Amino acid sequence: MFLMRFTERAYVNYTEEDVRNSPNEAVRLTFSNTNFDPQEGHYLYNMYLDEYEYSEEVGFDGLMLNEHHNTPTCLGATMNLEAAILARNTKKPKIVLLGNPLPIFDNPIRLAEELAEIDMISSGRLVSGFVRGTGVESLATNTNPLHNRARFEEAHDLVIKTWTTPGPFRWEGDHYHFRVVNPFQTPVQKPHPPVWIPGTGSPETLVWCAERNYPYIFLETDPQGTEDMKSIYAETAREHGYEPGPENFGYLVRIHVQDTDEKAYDVGKGYMVGNIGVGRIPLPRDYASPVGYGSRSDDPRFLRLREQIRSDPFRVGGLDSAHYDEILDSKRWIIGSPETVISQLREVLSYMRPGILAVWTNDGSISHEDTMRCLELMGQEVLPALREIGEELELTDPFQKEGVMPGLTRV
Amino acid sequence: MPNFTEETISVAGGNLQVYKGGSGDPLLVLHGAGGNAGPRRYAQALAEKFTVYLPSHPGYGNSDRPGWVETMQDLACFYTWYQEQEGLENVRAIGFSMGGWLAAEMLSMTGHAFSKVMLVGAAGIKPNDGEITDIFIISPAQVRDLVYHEPSQVPEWDEMFGTDPTPEQAQQAEGDREMAIRLTWKPYMHNPRLPAKLGRVSVPTQIVWGENDNLVPVECASLYQQAIAGSGVTVIPNCGHSPQIEKPDDFVQAALAFL
Repeated sequence: MFLMRFTERAYVNYTEEDVRNSPNEAVRLTFSNTNFDPQEGHYLYNMYLDEYEYSEEVGFDGLMLNEHHNTPTCLGATMNLEAAILARNTKKPKIVLLGNPLPIFDNPIRLAEELAEIDMISSGRLVSGFVRGTGVESLATNTNPLHNRARFEEAHDLVIKTWTTPGPFRWEGDHYHFRVVNPFQTPVQKPHPPVWIPGTGSPETLVWCAERNYPYIFLETDPQGTEDMKSIYAETAREHGYEPGPENFGYLVRIHVQDTDEKAYDVGKGYMVGNIGVGRIPLPRDYASPVGYGSRSDDPRFLRLREQIRSDPFRVGGLDSAHYDEILDSKRWIIGSPETVISQLREVLSYMRPGILAVWTNDGSISHEDTMRCLELMGQEVLPALREIGEELELTDPFQKEGVMPGLTRV
Repeated sequence: MPNFTEETISVAGGNLQVYKGGSGDPLLVLHGAGGNAGPRRYAQALAEKFTVYLPSHPGYGNSDRPGWVETMQDLACFYTWYQEQEGLENVRAIGFSMGGWLAAEMLSMTGHAFSKVMLVGAAGIKPNDGEITDIFIISPAQVRDLVYHEPSQVPEWDEMFGTDPTPEQAQQAEGDREMAIRLTWKPYMHNPRLPAKLGRVSVPTQIVWGENDNLVPVECASLYQQAIAGSGVTVIPNCGHSPQIEKPDDFVQAALAFL
């Protein structure tokens, strides 16, 4: 099992009142950047990078980053910069970008160049994930949400071609046009760095991933929904001549460890002001999912699944409607002493069966000190136990399974 | 009251939904970004003098969207096609809001689309001082609040907004909004080259604006007037973005006086 560490790198120095007084009472997109203090930013960026570097020390296999725009909930506005720093300052872990929001880039060639540099500087440790981005990403970059999926697919094809086809060549697509594609820098992993796709289970994306044998990382999805999503993936995989295993799936879950259950329970409350923001005010629908952004497929399987995702009380309406104790009871977050966390994770891993586990160790108002202790305990007790559980449950990861992913050739 | 019928005709390989009513010379009415509200009171009144054609733009209402209709210029091309096919060239026209922009694009392309044009609260030209309200980052309910200056003076309020939309109507509204996003996303609700291209226009043009327009600033009335030689301006006092709905009597009076 591949174990990677994640945090959204939250900025929480603002109040619920600040959000209530902002346009549309929204914590993303239009929440004024006068609420941001760059001095605090200076401290936070360095703190978060320190935590990632320490995550290597305690034994994580991967350092996972993500990207969002116009929001205090995630400081990763240009994730590739953080990735480049980690490429240089760490030695062993994969740098897992989940992911670059392809549709918002007007110049995917520049993205291909950045990622190639990260891959070279890190000696081939890049895992290059791609996402469609939320509606906020479309609005913040003025990318027409109607063309989101088409741009995602075309930018992907262009980046992959840029990495794998000798230049120069010309690209005249529907959304992208380049007279000379020939970036001099290409990735060190051949044919190209592994591509993993994170998401909450959009059926079209599952099919698209399965067609390409790209591992799909479920972001905090509910167990029943995940089962259905995996079967959509598996069906497509079989049509393409392979049987997917744990190496095709990842699962992101918030996991926080402290010395005792009581301490962990208290500290874990800090997650509640994380990616929904201080005040836990739901985002306007026109920000999160503008008209035209969603799919119009009328495939009944897809509709059923979409309804399921929409009605997951934990996800939809977000955490504003979810309560801490309920979340813990449902084991959607795993919080406790090392012993508690290991035993609950054994249960979750045995039914989710991911080859990749993304461990969201801290968010929101969880302090640096508590985070560092969490990481320390992870390294001492949780990660070794998870590796054993992974062996026992045969949760093979993509790096253990040869030929699963393009880009496996190592340097 | 003149009877309106709803027709479906085939244009450019797709179905086009058209409300048609009244008698007399043809009058083409082009609806705004919010969609085709059908033959409201103002259209009924105009149908006493004219044969009113009120099509739903491709992608709106029950009209198909030919795959190539992606931009306002494509839409203008579509309508010149429609006019040619239906023998509706050189007719009177009124364009509301985005439909006003559409009429202006058509004016910039051909001298024989219209014999006389009214542009009402027309999008299409970037204001110098204000901004065209971004209707895509506010909810449809917020948009409605901004459209009307004084809802209590809207005579058809109960008819139009008195009941919750049915699921079909809600879905229709989403489809309409999607088409508006397709057509007007970027540059938002305007064409930077339009004012220069309007230099060719010699068709009699009347520019009509609600004095209290919260969507497209009233300064755009002067910008249109500057762009189109010989055009006139009528500003309707105490009125928001849609004079034809908010003050139908004043609007119809202004329309009949010009047309």
